[in-house]
Amino acid sequence: MIRIELEPWLSMVDHARKAYPNECCGAMLGTIDGDAKVVSAAMALENAFEGAQAARYELRPEDLLAADKAARERNMDLIGIYHSHPDCDAYFSKTDLQNSCPWYSFVVLSIQKGEFHHANSWLPNFDQTDAAKEELSY
Amino acid sequence: MAKVLIPTPLRQFTGKQDAVSVPGGTVGEVLSALTAQYPDLRKQIFNDEGKLRSFVNVYLNDEDIRYLAKNETPAADGDTVSLVPSIAGGSTAAPPAETPALTKDEILRYSRHLIIPEVGMEGQQKLKAAKVLLVGAGGLGAPLGLYLTAAGIGHIGIVDFDVVDFTNLQRQVIHSTRDVGRKKIDSAAEKMVAINPELKVTKHEVALSSENALDILKDYDLVVDGTDNFPTRYLVNDACVLLGKPNVYGSIFRFEGQSTIFAYPGGPCYRCLYPEPPPPGLVPSCAEGGVLGILPGTIGLIQATETVKLILGIGESLVGRLLLYDALGMRFRELKLRPNPECPVCGDHRTITKLIDYHQFCGVPNPLSAAPAQETKLNEGEISVTELKQKLDRGDDFVLIDVREPHEYQICAIPGAKLIPLGEFPKHVEEFAADADIVIHCKSGGRSARACGFLRQNGFQKVRNVVGGILAWSDQVDPSVPKY
Repeated sequence: MIRIELEPWLSMVDHARKAYPNECCGAMLGTIDGDAKVVSAAMALENAFEGAQAARYELRPEDLLAADKAARERNMDLIGIYHSHPDCDAYFSKTDLQNSCPWYSFVVLSIQKGEFHHANSWLPNFDQTDAAKEELSY
Repeated sequence: MAKVLIPTPLRQFTGKQDAVSVPGGTVGEVLSALTAQYPDLRKQIFNDEGKLRSFVNVYLNDEDIRYLAKNETPAADGDTVSLVPSIAGGSTAAPPAETPALTKDEILRYSRHLIIPEVGMEGQQKLKAAKVLLVGAGGLGAPLGLYLTAAGIGHIGIVDFDVVDFTNLQRQVIHSTRDVGRKKIDSAAEKMVAINPELKVTKHEVALSSENALDILKDYDLVVDGTDNFPTRYLVNDACVLLGKPNVYGSIFRFEGQSTIFAYPGGPCYRCLYPEPPPPGLVPSCAEGGVLGILPGTIGLIQATETVKLILGIGESLVGRLLLYDALGMRFRELKLRPNPECPVCGDHRTITKLIDYHQFCGVPNPLSAAPAQETKLNEGEISVTELKQKLDRGDDFVLIDVREPHEYQICAIPGAKLIPLGEFPKHVEEFAADADIVIHCKSGGRSARACGFLRQNGFQKVRNVVGGILAWSDQVDPSVPKY
């Protein structure tokens, strides 16, 4: 399960609302104890997708590398990625799946008409064919 | 020796170390040495053919090795190797790679679409990939079902729990005379599959309700509203707003129709236009007020056109415009619609965040929870058609009044009834003695109940309403009386 602390949660929601009607993306930093993950900081990253960003996002590996570095410096771990689905449910889409990585939790925030609606966390498999829902609290 | 930084989730394979120093002159050798030292790590980074997994990028210091010498990139002492996943995604599958291919038969079938530049292969594939929900398989649902199927929509869902009635055939062209008595959903699906055997039809044989609407709607890309009552109209609107699905709207009455698109991002919803339903009974339904049989064809096809345009992403949609059609004047007009910031379901301060009780909201009884007609007991001031028949047969001294319109009286009448249309009723009050025994009927009992109330207010004591009106008379007394 993954728990997002209040401060990073608010900054993620805020980021997603500001990016609306486009998708936003970012990194979640925190600690892992066995299966229990706690997010204590969120890092907004640039959506680097070239083209209409209303239904697409792309993370620059360099930015992810920087996020990982920032985590290490703060004695935290990079434990997940978040992105938003404007006017769309927080499911893990085929596009999400095919560009995912099994190492991290993927939190999807559904933003409906500019407002936060609901969120889910997903754990994709190795073959990028399926993603399991992870218990999420915030 | 190069230092390899281990991403958090992989540290369980490296004895919890966040960095590992391994020998190797090139990045390729470093990675080989790393996975030799920690075999469990191998599966994480390489696939079965020994190639880097598609989501893994390898960085030497700050550079992607793909832009250096790939695996042959020299790694010196003090260099840092990082494993960085490539991550992207998006709410919708990206066309055209995700859209289904057309078969040879389909290319032939849709050839007149394919040669329109605005549609083309890509557009036809979008139509094939589209999932459209029709709410209602009646007047509007009939042309919608037929034409959307013919146009190549891949998956159409239908919500309907009604049965084909003889009175439907004048306009619901998806049903034939031999379908009378069949479920509309079965009759409609059969005609659609006959047009296109490749069509996937999902039958939702239920009354759409607050309990099931979100669950049914969520699997479709857009919803086409072909309902004929206010509770369902508000229900479809709110469910579409909550799910963020466009609602292609149409409505019809006598010679006039309307169409627009609600719940589209940035556009208004039905509640922005009509925050409150009209008082019950004010706006007659097609059953009460009648409808030109061709009208749902015109309006349904406007809805079908807008549906196809939305899926293709072409043209100028009806979002923000209410199209009004007057068949008698043969004129189209349009009204600009704007989202209402005060709208309770899509405005800035929302008070409706989940589905409510729409029958209560519209002030009408829920037909599903109402007791069946034959079990209703007569109330004070009511008379059954069988009792009326006995009264007539006995030759009782009483006045029987029919408050329908003259054109309805022409269709059928109860012998001995005096026609006084409801609107003219007040003018005739003085014709009756205050102690007269008065019985009033209409088509099904609604208008006559109002006439009874009016007489009682004016001091008449013995006034009774014929429950079920002339329709009940036809059912229970004289089947030769035509129903309409």
